[in-house]
Amino acid sequence: MADIVFRNVTKRYGNTLAVDDASFTVNDNEFFCFFGPPLSGKSTILRLVLGLEVPDEGEILIGGKPVNSVSPAERNVAMVFQNLALFPHMSSRDNVRFPLVERKVADAEIEKRLADVAQKLHIGHILHKPPAQLSGGERQRVAIARALVRDPAAYLMDDPISALDARLREETRVELKRIQRELGKTLIYVTHDQEEAMSVADRMAILENGRIRQIGAPAEIYDRPASAYVARMLGSPMMNILPSVRGANGIEAAEGTIRIADARAPAEAIEIGLRPEDLKVRPWTDSGTAEARPARVFEVEPLGGYTVVTIEAGQARLRALLRGQPDVRPDAMVAISCDPGRVHYFGQDGGAL
Amino acid sequence: MSAVTATISEDKMGAARAKPAQRDEGERLGFRLTLPAQILVLFISAFPLLMQLYISVTDWSPLSGVGWWNAWEMWNSFANYTDLAADTRFWSALQRTAIVMLVCVPAEFLLGLALATLFADDFPGKRIFYSILLMPMMVVPAVAGYMFFMLFQSGGPVNDILSRIIGGPVTIAWLSDPNLALIAVMIADIWQWTPLMFLILLAGLVGVPEDQIKAATLLGANAWQRFTTIVLPKMKTIIIIALAIRVIENFKIFDTLYIMTGGGPGVATETISVYIYKVTTQDLIWGYVAAIALAILIVLSIVAVYAMKRMAKTREVPA
Amino acid sequence: MSAIHLKNLTKTFGDFAALKTMDLEIADGEFMALLGPSGCGKSTTMNMIAGMEEPSSGKILFGERDMAGVPMGRRGVGFVFQNYAIFTHMTVRQNLAYGPRMRGAAKVEIDRRVGAIAEMLQLSPLLDRKADRLSVNILQRVAIGRSAIMEPAIFLLDEPLSNVDAAFRAVMRTELKQLQRQFRQTMVYVTHDQLEAMTMADRIAVMDHGVLQQVGTPLEVYNNPANVFVARFIGAPGMNLLKGRPAESDRGLVIDLGPLGVTPPLPDELASSVRAVRNDVLYGFRPEQVALADRGLSMPATFVERIGARTIVHLGEGESAVKAVFENDVGLSVGQTAVVAPPASSVRVFDAATGLAVRAG
Repeated sequence: MADIVFRNVTKRYGNTLAVDDASFTVNDNEFFCFFGPPLSGKSTILRLVLGLEVPDEGEILIGGKPVNSVSPAERNVAMVFQNLALFPHMSSRDNVRFPLVERKVADAEIEKRLADVAQKLHIGHILHKPPAQLSGGERQRVAIARALVRDPAAYLMDDPISALDARLREETRVELKRIQRELGKTLIYVTHDQEEAMSVADRMAILENGRIRQIGAPAEIYDRPASAYVARMLGSPMMNILPSVRGANGIEAAEGTIRIADARAPAEAIEIGLRPEDLKVRPWTDSGTAEARPARVFEVEPLGGYTVVTIEAGQARLRALLRGQPDVRPDAMVAISCDPGRVHYFGQDGGAL
Repeated sequence: MSAVTATISEDKMGAARAKPAQRDEGERLGFRLTLPAQILVLFISAFPLLMQLYISVTDWSPLSGVGWWNAWEMWNSFANYTDLAADTRFWSALQRTAIVMLVCVPAEFLLGLALATLFADDFPGKRIFYSILLMPMMVVPAVAGYMFFMLFQSGGPVNDILSRIIGGPVTIAWLSDPNLALIAVMIADIWQWTPLMFLILLAGLVGVPEDQIKAATLLGANAWQRFTTIVLPKMKTIIIIALAIRVIENFKIFDTLYIMTGGGPGVATETISVYIYKVTTQDLIWGYVAAIALAILIVLSIVAVYAMKRMAKTREVPA
Repeated sequence: MSAIHLKNLTKTFGDFAALKTMDLEIADGEFMALLGPSGCGKSTTMNMIAGMEEPSSGKILFGERDMAGVPMGRRGVGFVFQNYAIFTHMTVRQNLAYGPRMRGAAKVEIDRRVGAIAEMLQLSPLLDRKADRLSVNILQRVAIGRSAIMEPAIFLLDEPLSNVDAAFRAVMRTELKQLQRQFRQTMVYVTHDQLEAMTMADRIAVMDHGVLQQVGTPLEVYNNPANVFVARFIGAPGMNLLKGRPAESDRGLVIDLGPLGVTPPLPDELASSVRAVRNDVLYGFRPEQVALADRGLSMPATFVERIGARTIVHLGEGESAVKAVFENDVGLSVGQTAVVAPPASSVRVFDAATGLAVRAG
C-alpha cells in the first residue's frame, strides 16, 4: 500500500527547527494538504518525503518500508513543480515518457503506461504538441502525467497554483481535485491559501513553526479547532477571538457588548472565539439590562453575496459575516449575539476547551 | 502587531537557512571527482612560483654552466633582495609604472563609464558605433605600438592635425622628448583599453534593475541623482572587477610601449616590465630578475586580495 | 485637485491594442479599482496615469491640468510596483527617506517624517535593516511607505498584494484602506482579484481585452452587471448563465432552457424588455442567491466544496453546469439531485449574441 508515515521526524537547519517532532500518516489514495504560513515547515516536509533532505531524528516510511536512507531516485514518489518544469524542446509525449526513458524501461512498457496515463488525464489528443502550444491547464495535466507515468506511490505538489489569477485558481483547484479522485493516487499538496486547502483536501495538517498543530478533515478542523492558533488559520474573515470573563448568566466579552448565556461554559476559559458567520447583528433597541450593551458599526464592506460588518465592541474590533446585502450603516448601534452552541472556548495555553 | 513579529521570526529562519543542507557523501564525492583537476591547476600555478622563489635566492643565470635544479650551488642568501631594495633604477621604474597606472586606469574608467551610459539607451547607428568602439581592443598590441609610433612622429599625423587646429606649424617631438614620451604611451594605452572598461561597465549598467530606476524617477530623482544613488551603487561589484583587472594588467604594460619607445628615450618610459625585460635579456642575471618578478607578484596579489574582499562585502550572503 | 479624468485614452504596442478608447472619471479622494484578468489593459492604463507610458491617443487630466508631456517625476503620484522595486542596496530607513532626500528636505524633517510613516506601517523596529533580505510582507509596507511619505495627492498601486501570502493579504487590505481613509488620497488600484476590488474600492472599473466593461460601486457591478463578462467575473463564484429561448406561457414570459426545463416566469418589467430581444438569451442568477426549492431546476450534484463558512455545490455538467452556495448544513452529496430556484428579483437576462444585459423597463 502506498501510505506515507512520519514518526517523530525532526529536521534542523543550523539552530533552527524547520520540522519539530512531526508525526502523521497520509493514507493511500488520500488528498492530503499541508497548510501553514510561510516558513512553517511545509516545504521541508515535502523535501523529506521526496528524499531531498534527511531527517535528523525520527523515521519516514513509504508503503510500510523505512526510507530514511533511500535516495530520492529510489523512493517511489514524484513531484510536480510549481513552474511545471516541462522541457520546452520536446513534445509533450516525450516529456511524459522522459522519466521512463531515463530508467531504461522497455519501449512496449513505456507506450502502455503512456496510453494509460494519457487516457486518465484526457491529454491523448494534445501529446504531439510542444508545451509552448498548450494552454495552462493542459500543461499542468502534462506535468502531472509525467509525474504519474512512473506509477509512483504518491505524487507531491508544492503550491502549484498560487501564481495564477484568482478566477483561474478557483477553477484549477476543482480540476486538480477531480483528477486526483479519478486517478486514485495519494497526493500530498502544500499551500498557504486556506480556502484552497479546505476545498481540495480529504485531510489536512496545520503547521506552526515546524510543529503540526492539528490533523483532520478540513470541516472537522474548521468546526472544532484544537487551539486559538488553528482557529485563526482557517476561515475568512478570521475568527474573532476575545478575552472573556464569567458574568452573571454566562460569559461576557468586549466590555459587555457580548453576552453568551451558557452556564456550561468551561471555567478555565479565558478567551472565546466567534466565527464571523455565527455572529448575529441586530439594530440596537433598549430592552433592559439583561441584554448586551450596544456596539457601534465601524465599517460595512459589501461583497455582493455577503457583507462584512466591522463592529467596534469595547476595545476590540469584531467582524461579522452577514448573508446578502442587509441594510447596515456605519456608525449605527447594533446588538451582537451568538448561539451558545457555536461559541469556541480557549484556555490559558490557547488550547480549545 | 502579530503580523510584524511573525515576519521578523521568518527572517531569522531565513538567515539560519543560509547553509544549504547537503548530504556529506555528495560533498566528499565532489571533492574526490575534482581532485585530479585541482592537482593539475595547483601544479601549473604553483610550480613556476616555487621555481621562481628558488632561483631568486641564487645567482643563477642560464650562462652559469649548471642546470637550474642545481642553482642552490649559487646560493647568495637573499643578496638579490637587498640589491633590489637599493636599486634606484628599479624604484624609478616602479614609480613610472605607478604614474602610468594612476593616469590610465581612471581615464579608461571614466571614459568607459561615459560611453556605457551613452549606450544604455538606443540611438540610430548604435550597432555600427558599437563595433567601431570595440575595434581598438582587437588590435594586436604590438601592431598598436607600431601604429602609435608612426602617429607620434614629429612629422606625423598627430602633429599634422594639431597644426591644422592651431593654425601654425606643430613639431612636438613626442617620442624623443623624455617628458612627452610617457604621455604618448599613456594615450596609446587609453586608446586600446577603454573599450574593455566600456564593455564590462555596460554589462554592469544593463544589470541594474529597471524598475528601481523607475521608482527613483517617480520619487523625484533627476538623472544625476539616479546615477549616483541607484546606478553606481548597484554597479559596485562590476566596478571593482573592472578596476582590479585593469590595474593588474596596466601594471604589466609592455608590448605597445616597448614597440613605441623601447623604454626610451633613455629610461623615460621604462616601466617595470621593460626593466625586467632589459635585465633579463641584456644583463642576464636571472636570479635577480626572479626576485623582481616575485616582488611585483606580491604587490599585485595584495591588490587582487583587496579587490576580492571588497567584492565579498558588497555581495549579499544568500539567505 | 486630484481628480483624474481619462478621455478617449488608447494605447497600442505595434499591432497590439492594449487599450481601446477608455473614458473614465475618478473623483477626488476616491478609491477606484481597475479590475480584470491578465492582459486586460489595467496595468497599461495605470502606467499611463503615472507617466511611464505615453498614450497613443487621448488625454489624461489631473483636475484641470493636462498631463501630456509632464514627465513622471513631476506628476506628484505615488506608485507601488507589483514587485515593490525596493532599493535593495539601502536600508529600510534610506528607502523611506529617498523621496524627501531627493527633494532636498532638511535632515531633521526627513527623520521626523520617516519616523511617522514607520510608526504607522509598523516598520519602526526594522528601520535599520538592509532591504534586500526582508520578507515579502515587510517589503510591501516599505514600498507603500516610500510613496506615502511624499503625501501624493494620487496613489497608484499595481497589484500590490499579488505576491503576498493569502493570510497576510487580508491584513494588508485593511491597512491600505485605513491609509487611504486617513490621507484621503485618490487611489487607483489594479487587481485581478474581484474580492480585493469589492472589499476595498469605492468604485470598480471592470476591464477585459483593453475595453472598459462597466464602472460602478461594488454593489452596482454585483447586482446589475452590464454584460456577461462582468456577470461572470464578479462574485465568488461568478454568475451562473444558462442558455435559453424566451417562451410565452400562461403565467407570463419564461425562458426555455431545453433539457433543463422551463424557468419560473420573469418579473413583468423584465419580461417586456426580454420580449424585444430577437435571439437566444442567457438566464443568469448568482450562486449565492439560490435556495433549495420544490420547483425549479433539477440537477445532480457533481462536486461539493466545503469551504469554511459556506459550501459550494457544483450541479449539472457541460453547458448546463451551475454552482450554488449554501450554508454548511445543506447535506448534499455527490450524485444526489437537487432542485434549486433563484428568487425572481435576482434573475438577470443577457442577450446571448451581444452579451449585453437586458434591463428592465
